[in-house]
Amino acid sequence: MAMADAMERPEATRTGGRPFFSCRNVESYYGESYIVQGVSFDIAENEIVALLGRNGAGKTSTLRTLARAQEPHLTAGEIWLDGQALHSMKAYQAARAGVQLVPEDRRIIPGITVEENLILAQTVEPRGWEIAQIYELFPRLGERKRQEANTLSGGEQQMLAIARALARQIKLLLLDEPYEGLAPTIVEEIEKTMEVIRRSGITTIIVEQNALAALRIADSAVILDMGEVVFRGTAQQVLDSEDLREQYLAV
Amino acid sequence: MDPNALFLQLLTGLQLGAIYALIALGLTLIFGTLGFVNFAHGALYVIAIYAAVTVAANTNFLLAIILVPALLFAIGVAFERGLIRHFYTRPHTDQILITFGLAIVVEELMKWIFGANNIPFTLPEWGSGLMVFYSDWSAVPAVPVFQEAPSLWVPFIEGFVTYQFWRVVLIAVSLVTVAGLFALLQFTRFGLVVRAGMRDPEMLRFLGINIAQKFAIVVGLGAAIAGIAGVFGGPITQVTPGVGMALLVPSFLVVVIGGMGSLSGALIAAILIGMALSFSAEIANLQQIVVYLIAVVVLLVRPRGLFGKKGVFE
Ligand SMILES: Nc1ncnc2c1ncn2[C@@H]1O[C@H](COP(=O)(O)OP(=O)(O)OP(=O)(O)O)[C@@H](O)[C@H]1O
Ligand SMILES: [Mg+2]
Repeated sequence: MAMADAMERPEATRTGGRPFFSCRNVESYYGESYIVQGVSFDIAENEIVALLGRNGAGKTSTLRTLARAQEPHLTAGEIWLDGQALHSMKAYQAARAGVQLVPEDRRIIPGITVEENLILAQTVEPRGWEIAQIYELFPRLGERKRQEANTLSGGEQQMLAIARALARQIKLLLLDEPYEGLAPTIVEEIEKTMEVIRRSGITTIIVEQNALAALRIADSAVILDMGEVVFRGTAQQVLDSEDLREQYLAV
Repeated sequence: MDPNALFLQLLTGLQLGAIYALIALGLTLIFGTLGFVNFAHGALYVIAIYAAVTVAANTNFLLAIILVPALLFAIGVAFERGLIRHFYTRPHTDQILITFGLAIVVEELMKWIFGANNIPFTLPEWGSGLMVFYSDWSAVPAVPVFQEAPSLWVPFIEGFVTYQFWRVVLIAVSLVTVAGLFALLQFTRFGLVVRAGMRDPEMLRFLGINIAQKFAIVVGLGAAIAGIAGVFGGPITQVTPGVGMALLVPSFLVVVIGGMGSLSGALIAAILIGMALSFSAEIANLQQIVVYLIAVVVLLVRPRGLFGKKGVFE
């Protein structure tokens, strides 16, 4: 993959009438509890979607369902990515099909180095950025490549989590609260990374507590409430509608 | 103490430790990576010794060295795929029950096929004879029995002592196996994936890695080590269906003393237990007590064992 900032951002495109990504009536359970309750939406290629909603609305659960985690487990519905049926895959197969989840709590593997975390991401095809390219984008990670990964600061861990996803070839990037718990200066740094992701045209779903921050980079938005989609539209529509924001986002 | 007797007791301690280490290594590897308590590990050893004695008797010993660990690897993988993976998230008590049951089935099966009595396990020619340890070669009589096996100069003994060569082979094999396993886990991509998988299997799946398959290989490796133990330990321990259970108990103790899931802990604890058994040999009835006494003392001082980590088996 070429260095991202050298590229023009491609326009969001629909391919042959079939959406690039699509989920239809997706339902999933944590054990016995019904969490994702029939979620449907489409995403065009290169589109960035902000997935919003209050605490407990089911944002994390939705991302984990799409990434085919064991829990919450999918019980109904279809998930399609670029013609591939994610709903009949396991998590590792979905990852090979191009889904990359950057989880809420970052999930940096402790006990191994920064570089080993990146090497793990490149164990299986298809790979994305070379490790050298990653260090160019994140010089801080390059400086600390031999450091034990769990000794990184929160911001550095978030960078590593994103870098680790970029080390794989991505068709759909799922970012769960990338700014959570980070100091404003670090947030700025991560936002720069987001800009790189945006320009390289990676199709992305970004979940954020801070709806305004997410809407700044997103093309469109999906709002969840009680495990259901209550709004699908452009980012601008959410920014313009006080009703929507008051009712579902508490901003 | 007489230096020659001391030296022999050290060797005996190492040799006992070597066999416990091989069994405990597989146990602790499977526990450390999968959190699974495998009480059928002794049964794998039983399968290994019968396979070894059969192959060695019908073809030759070198073939057994290759075939038996390979066979046990396959059994281990099948065992993981067919049974234990369904028990990863179940309580340890369920895991113990199911594997203990399996061990009894294997023991009875072997009794049925091979009988309950000890089958003689003939050593290969290259492995028989006595190894001579000497400080003064001129003290060693020039008789053929002392020329068959290698000899080694040791500074502090008086004159010379002899020790069954095969037991030295067992010690060496055990050390090489421990070093090999350590290197595999520490210095290869496979090892990195397994170590990371111990910490966060789900994240590895999100990175496209089929960690379940790696875990099956880990169980296969643990079983293959039991296979190595069977080929090299069989001629020393005994070839009976009950030997698996007899070895499992002290080996499990070794795992607990070393710290559940710790490879280096298992090695050190195995040597410790081996030495304790060797040096308490004169007080025959107290031998078992000494082992448990060590376990009690270690666990009182360090409840997680020598190298146990927080959060493991808790
Ligand atoms: N492991 C779990 N087991 C059972 N229920 C869970 C589990 N994780 C989440 N839930 C429940 O699922 C619902 C949705 O949670 P989820 O984490 O998806 O919300 P969220 O929108 O990501 O919230 P937040 O903004 O706080 O991160 C909640 O009611 C939560 O209690
Ligand atoms: Mg969440």
